[in-house]
Amino acid sequence: MLIKTTTTRAALIALLALGTAAAWPRAASAETVLRIGMTAADIPRTLGQPDQGFEGNRFTGVTMYDALTGWDLSSADKASMVIPGLATEWKVDDADKTKWIFKLRPGVTFHDGSPFNADAVVWNVEKVLKQDAPQFDASQVGVTASRMPTLASAKKIDDMTVELTTKEPDSFLPINLTNLFMASPSKWQAFYDKAEGADAKAKSQGAWAAFAKDASGTGPWKMASFTPRERLELVKNANYWDKARVPKVDKMVLLPMPEANARTAALLSGQVDWVEAPAPDALPELKQRGFLLYANEQPHVWPWQFSRVEGSPWNDIRVRKAANLCVDREGLKDGLLAGLMVPATGTFEPGHPWRGNPTFQIKYDKPAAQKLMQEAGFGPNKRLAVKIQTSASGSGQMQPLPMNEYLQQALAECYFDVQLDVIEWNTLFTNWRRGAKDPSANGSNATNVTYAAMDPFFALVRFLQSSMAPPVSNNWGFINNPKFDELVKKARQTFDPAARDAALAELHAASVDDAAFFYVAHDVGPRAMSPKVKGVVQPKSWFIDFSPISMAP
Amino acid sequence: MSELPLSATSDAALQAAPATKARGYWATVGRRILRDKVSMACALVLLLIFVSAILAPWLGLEDPYKGSMIRRLRHIATPGYPLGTDELGRDMLARLIYGGRLSLVVGILPVILAFGIGTSLGLVAGYVGGKLNTAIMRTVDVFYAFPSVLLAIAISGALGAGILNSIVALTIVFVPQITRVAESVTTGVRNRDFVEAARASGAGPFTIMRVHILGNVLGAIFVYATSLISVSMILAAGLSFLGLGTKPPEPEWGLMLNTLRTAIYVNPWVAALPGAMIFAVSICFNLLSDGLRSAMDIRN
Amino acid sequence: MLAYIARRIVYVIPIVISVALVCFLLVHITPGDPLVAILPADASQELAAQLRAAYGFDRPLPVQFGLWLLRALHGDLGNSIATGRPVLAEVVRAVGNTVTLAIAAAIIGFTMGIMLGLIAGYFRETWIDKLATSFAIAGVSVPHYWLGMLLVIIFSVELNWLPAVGAGPGGSGAWAWDWAHLKYLVLPAITTSVIPMGIITRTVRALTGDILSQDFVEALRAKGLRETGVFRHVIKNAAPTALAVMGLQLGYMLGGSILIETVFSWPGSGFLLNSAIFQRDLPLLQGTILVLALFFVFLNLLVDIAQAAIDPRIKRG
Repeated sequence: MLIKTTTTRAALIALLALGTAAAWPRAASAETVLRIGMTAADIPRTLGQPDQGFEGNRFTGVTMYDALTGWDLSSADKASMVIPGLATEWKVDDADKTKWIFKLRPGVTFHDGSPFNADAVVWNVEKVLKQDAPQFDASQVGVTASRMPTLASAKKIDDMTVELTTKEPDSFLPINLTNLFMASPSKWQAFYDKAEGADAKAKSQGAWAAFAKDASGTGPWKMASFTPRERLELVKNANYWDKARVPKVDKMVLLPMPEANARTAALLSGQVDWVEAPAPDALPELKQRGFLLYANEQPHVWPWQFSRVEGSPWNDIRVRKAANLCVDREGLKDGLLAGLMVPATGTFEPGHPWRGNPTFQIKYDKPAAQKLMQEAGFGPNKRLAVKIQTSASGSGQMQPLPMNEYLQQALAECYFDVQLDVIEWNTLFTNWRRGAKDPSANGSNATNVTYAAMDPFFALVRFLQSSMAPPVSNNWGFINNPKFDELVKKARQTFDPAARDAALAELHAASVDDAAFFYVAHDVGPRAMSPKVKGVVQPKSWFIDFSPISMAP
Repeated sequence: MSELPLSATSDAALQAAPATKARGYWATVGRRILRDKVSMACALVLLLIFVSAILAPWLGLEDPYKGSMIRRLRHIATPGYPLGTDELGRDMLARLIYGGRLSLVVGILPVILAFGIGTSLGLVAGYVGGKLNTAIMRTVDVFYAFPSVLLAIAISGALGAGILNSIVALTIVFVPQITRVAESVTTGVRNRDFVEAARASGAGPFTIMRVHILGNVLGAIFVYATSLISVSMILAAGLSFLGLGTKPPEPEWGLMLNTLRTAIYVNPWVAALPGAMIFAVSICFNLLSDGLRSAMDIRN
Repeated sequence: MLAYIARRIVYVIPIVISVALVCFLLVHITPGDPLVAILPADASQELAAQLRAAYGFDRPLPVQFGLWLLRALHGDLGNSIATGRPVLAEVVRAVGNTVTLAIAAAIIGFTMGIMLGLIAGYFRETWIDKLATSFAIAGVSVPHYWLGMLLVIIFSVELNWLPAVGAGPGGSGAWAWDWAHLKYLVLPAITTSVIPMGIITRTVRALTGDILSQDFVEALRAKGLRETGVFRHVIKNAAPTALAVMGLQLGYMLGGSILIETVFSWPGSGFLLNSAIFQRDLPLLQGTILVLALFFVFLNLLVDIAQAAIDPRIKRG
């Protein structure tokens, strides 16, 4: 009896052991992991202010960090607009329009447990704006300061209130602030205290380098491990302040895969679950093998930006309008880009609060275009020669050569002789700042640099305001239209958000009515993923919220 | 491609250099190489590629720049496109033949330039000797301290993309190598009897270098230089492959290989074609250089 | 011998300084703004000037060179502009991955090269010799980045046997010597090995042929030495030169891996160099070139010394 009991017990224990052993790997694999192939060649910087453009913000900005204000990424249909982030409310000082009061969200902590408060905000403003602050880091200034051009300083009012000051009255400040991510001052200070270095500057650099390896923000994802240039692992922040946005998967792995076909192959072979911008040629195969494709209009414009210097053929509004009417954008979309574009009828499309009501309807109407050209004095026997500077590749440029060749053929029907001046992407981008009068324009009277249109300064002001002409900013063609200048000023100085949006809409409508650009396409941010990835909402944004995403077993 | 076996190639070339040459020597070399089937086959292939590249506009080919989105990435042996089309729908046959123009120029010109510069430097260093020799050869040593791929890429990376920059970068890579060979053969010849005799008869240093030494060292340096062409072709195309050489939309084999890389999952064999051209030219030059060397090595 | 070594080491010092100068100048003749990696094209001129000063790019070039060299002597190659990470750490990590690749390639290439070379040299002018020689000449003539692409097409795209890119399922940080990781190494290592394979085949073939055609081999054979004995004799005589060639080839593999690493996204020094070039990250660029060049210089030095140790005649040269 005794023996029997013992054997039974032994057998039970053995069974239990077997059971736990069997349960072990299952428990381990119960951790859900989302693996993403990015288009970046390197992991975007992790220390709070990412590089690599908006893809950087998408993966190492809004994931690990929050800013005072953020983007609403919850809808695939509505335009993505600014919502409260680490600030719950804000308003400009009625007496002095350069001063803003931001109320901070209570009860938020950084990943290291230290509290988020007014000191943290001041510290983060000063990391890029106050040169004698110990945490000032020149390497973060470039990407950050240029995206909030008017912010000057920050001051603590009380623990949960901050006053921000701008150089001039600027109603765009809350939108700009989406680019200033809040890193943990305590965590940085700990690294600074430990850092070795001859002087404060060296110690500060060392602290930032250490912080980048083991960062701390307030975002829904925490940094877990980091192999430079190869791999970044983020884990969910179960204590995220917005309970609705606590991530559903446990871990997110980010892999830089700059080559489209390598990304696609990695997805096909199951190395990753999700890739940004799959190779267009592989789309049919991806679909056929059951992978899901997502795309949505992005705040991005693929234009020709006209030269308006003396003697430019584009100074005649009839010619500008004719070009806009002469192209079948649907044909471009389906014939050339496998459906991966949205035809542009302005910088913003209908439904966007900054769209307004332009009277000039951009569509495909060849007879109208030909008529406008004839009124302007051109015809089959008197063709208009124009020259466009473009590149063969480049970030956001989509398929510049075939697209321009398509436009070249389409415009030929409206008596244009389009000559393409193809130069290197970086050169094109640099020339953009030099303007149409510069020798680098090489006699071209339009340039083909695509742009992001999330923020009113970048979408409208820098192109339309006369004071933004080179070398100040990107008014490449030297547009000088008093109406635009007046509307820019009005929008910047209208502080009620709804009224400001209305003023921006007015400015946008005026620019479309003036055919200020040849508006061609918006990019759609295509991504492909395994059918196991659930809950994806791709907003009309450069960003995406990874929190609601789950992985089916 | 790291370097060719310097020791193997240059030593053999040096051994092959006869001290004095009768007029009959070159005739013998010519006869020997004409009898070498492999060399002749290579010469024929190269001739074909050269001639078609030069005559490309008159061969009735498609426009190598004209693309079409409708006929992208057609497979090999598509009617009308015997070698298919590339990622922008341009005819591959036309682009491969036109591509020979830039590829061959960028591949061969640096060797010719380096041959001229390196021979002059090596000749002067070897004949004059002394401080001048030290100055030239120590400078050469510094460039020798870089692996040639690294040096070529570093220079092109610094100068920026462009055909001219590639040629400059590759020339800088090859000058030290040729200078070394030229210096060592010149040093070997300068104290020979016939040079002494010329010096005794009052000939100036330039005359001696030009008439008496050059004639005796040129063969060896030439053979060495021909062996560099293959390396240069691969490197030049490699620079374009990295995006540091020719810029689009010019047809050039390395660049075509680079841009077609995005198509290897769709049409892999078309994507591999430009590399086959580089390989063909490179191996033919190598075999021809080998053939030339053994033809000059009369002792065998 | 010691005197020879000392002489060689002293001789290397000016080379090292000149190499550093060349690296520095190469990078600084670069047209364009050194801060392009962190300065958006739409940044104001004021901001650009402020950052240039913060990074010290407004100082005269000789001063910049002096400061850089001084810090480099202390093992500090500065921080990458694009990432802010210390250059030395980045380069060391990348070189580690390149060494992994080079060693794997060396094992394949050297073994194959020695075998083919011996066989070809032994059976000169037979079909085996012709086959081995063709193999060798193909190896030195093939554009290896293209060979890499071909291998990817065959083994990754068509057959789906081996991964096309990357350094293991968890990146190089989680490298292990098991099949799950090694399969990432197969294609890049084979691609890297073809040139050394070709060169060593040719060298060993020439050496073997030369030794076998010498009179004393006949004499040995006449004295009744068996073929294995002759073979041992061949190996002994060919070893010094073959080893020197192999040493140099190792150097070329370490310094010239950029094209292959780009094809396979192998996170080594060449890959790093490539991204430094395209991001215009000057400290990273000059640091990577310097480390790779110095590697090569010291490998050359080692080869020289080793050769002198084996073959005392060289010292006199």
